[in-house]
Amino acid sequence: MKTFIQFSIFMLIAGLAIVLAIILGDCGAWYFAWLVGTVMIVLIAAVGGALLDAQDERAAALALERKDGKH
Amino acid sequence: MHDITVVDLSRLQFAATALYHFLFVPLTLGMTFMLAAMETVYVVTGKVIYRQITQFWGKLFLINFALGVATGLTMEFQFGTNWSFYSSFVGDIFGAPLAIEGLMAFFLESTFVGLMVFGWHRLKPGQHLAVTYLVALGSNLSALWILVANAFMQDPVGAHFNPTTMRMELNDFAALIFSSDAQAKFVHTSIAGYVTAAIFVAGVSAWYMLKNRHMELARRSFRMSVLFGVLSTAGVITLGDALGFVGAEAQPTKLAAMEGLWKTESAPMPFNLMAFPSQENQTNYGEVKVPYVLSILVTHSLTGTVPGVDVLEQRAAERIRGGIPAVSSLKMLSADPNDPVAMNQFNTHQKDLGYGFLVKRYADDVTTATDEQIAQAAKDSIPHVATMFWSFRVMVLLGLGMLAFFVLGLIYTLRNTVQYKRTFLKFAVWMIPAPFLACEAGWLVAEIGRQPWTVYGLLPTWMSASTHSVGYMVFSLIGFVAVYTVFIVIEMYLMVRAIRKGPDDGNGDAELDRGDLSLPASRKTLAEA
Repeated sequence: MKTFIQFSIFMLIAGLAIVLAIILGDCGAWYFAWLVGTVMIVLIAAVGGALLDAQDERAAALALERKDGKH
Repeated sequence: MHDITVVDLSRLQFAATALYHFLFVPLTLGMTFMLAAMETVYVVTGKVIYRQITQFWGKLFLINFALGVATGLTMEFQFGTNWSFYSSFVGDIFGAPLAIEGLMAFFLESTFVGLMVFGWHRLKPGQHLAVTYLVALGSNLSALWILVANAFMQDPVGAHFNPTTMRMELNDFAALIFSSDAQAKFVHTSIAGYVTAAIFVAGVSAWYMLKNRHMELARRSFRMSVLFGVLSTAGVITLGDALGFVGAEAQPTKLAAMEGLWKTESAPMPFNLMAFPSQENQTNYGEVKVPYVLSILVTHSLTGTVPGVDVLEQRAAERIRGGIPAVSSLKMLSADPNDPVAMNQFNTHQKDLGYGFLVKRYADDVTTATDEQIAQAAKDSIPHVATMFWSFRVMVLLGLGMLAFFVLGLIYTLRNTVQYKRTFLKFAVWMIPAPFLACEAGWLVAEIGRQPWTVYGLLPTWMSASTHSVGYMVFSLIGFVAVYTVFIVIEMYLMVRAIRKGPDDGNGDAELDRGDLSLPASRKTLAEA
């Protein structure tokens, strides 16, 4: 059931995106580009922060492994 | 007849207030979406450091927002006080987007700013995140409606002149909102705000790294800001190109002035990398040209060409001659709105009505205008070339510089070595003014390039102003500049104080391992993991 709800939500988002693209594409695409672009910029920036955390955790784990190896 | 000194002072006053206002606006536009990105990481990962980061940058956003609102309010009043004929002439069109901006976007933004600031302990993380996104959306929608109104001044579509009411009337709202100029200008301006926020966050983070303070906050903020910035700068450049492409059609005089293009050249046209344009002699001194580039830039082909000032002046003179019967027919229609001869004359020449108004500055009765007066009015149709030429190049140079900065910053942060690059970090701090200067230069290009019109091709600037006295204008101009300078000083003082103080816990990473009581259990588990 959870998978179905998630599938429905994502399909709805995809459908809305396509409808918006069709409507706005006829009138000129820049507003649509702004919507898509802003979402992309925000999400990539957010992923960048999470990636830094992952890098730090990996570096800490490697340091710990090296320390354990020496002992 | 208007006093040209009053017109110039009205222009100066609006330019001063707009330029002051736009020192605050871009940071608001961009910072809201940066806050949304930061808070998204907090809600998704549950790591408290991201809440601290969001709250810290949120505080700086709030300082900027409060002072930005204060400087923006007066601008809308100026349309009524200093530009009364303009307001009367195009109020039907111009008023609609401004009203929507106030009622929809600004109310949305202002309401949710309160929830964003005071809602941290009252809302669930997901709810608060939604509020932050709504603030971001509201501030950018606010900019959208203002820029739709401005786009009408640059490329008046969706409206027509009614000779009976003697005013412009809106006849196609969709055409107004979806005009090419409105779309390209909104996206260009909004994303320029993202770049401003990214440079600001990167610069302040770099300062913390140089001081070895709040390292956890600074490293994360820097990483996010350069990613945010590199994509945004690419977007600004793309949209700048689109705006130039749109402008080549809609405002050829602006484009010719931007490029210092006095004489029409055959394709492929060279690009003036550097020149010292002389308005009086209509020539450039000390030109440094790059072959082929201008054709590619403005027409996206090697065979395209655009008219230079020489051709544009000729066209303006022809249109002035065509507009004179339209203006004279208005006089007849004001005496008898049902005069069929006058109406027929107006309908035949109405496309050149604005150009007829241009010569009215020199000949009150336009039907008596001499060839010299028409030539002078045609010369007036070209904006000040040197100002346009250099404002445009400053903006572009700063934009390319910021792109290079972000790319380098991205490489360093992805390698996780940025905190050791002290020269780069010092440079990052010095980069903070760059986007503000670029935005100001961009507005100079947009607005000086529209001259001599308030509504391009329809209403000359000299006709648009109110009939105040010089003394009144000087007094109010000095007042605005003084008050706004105080605002800037207050903003800088509050910003510097908040930055020096840092996050509220005084460290920026002290709570990293404490967990967060306001998070749901599932998120706490994630944070602990």
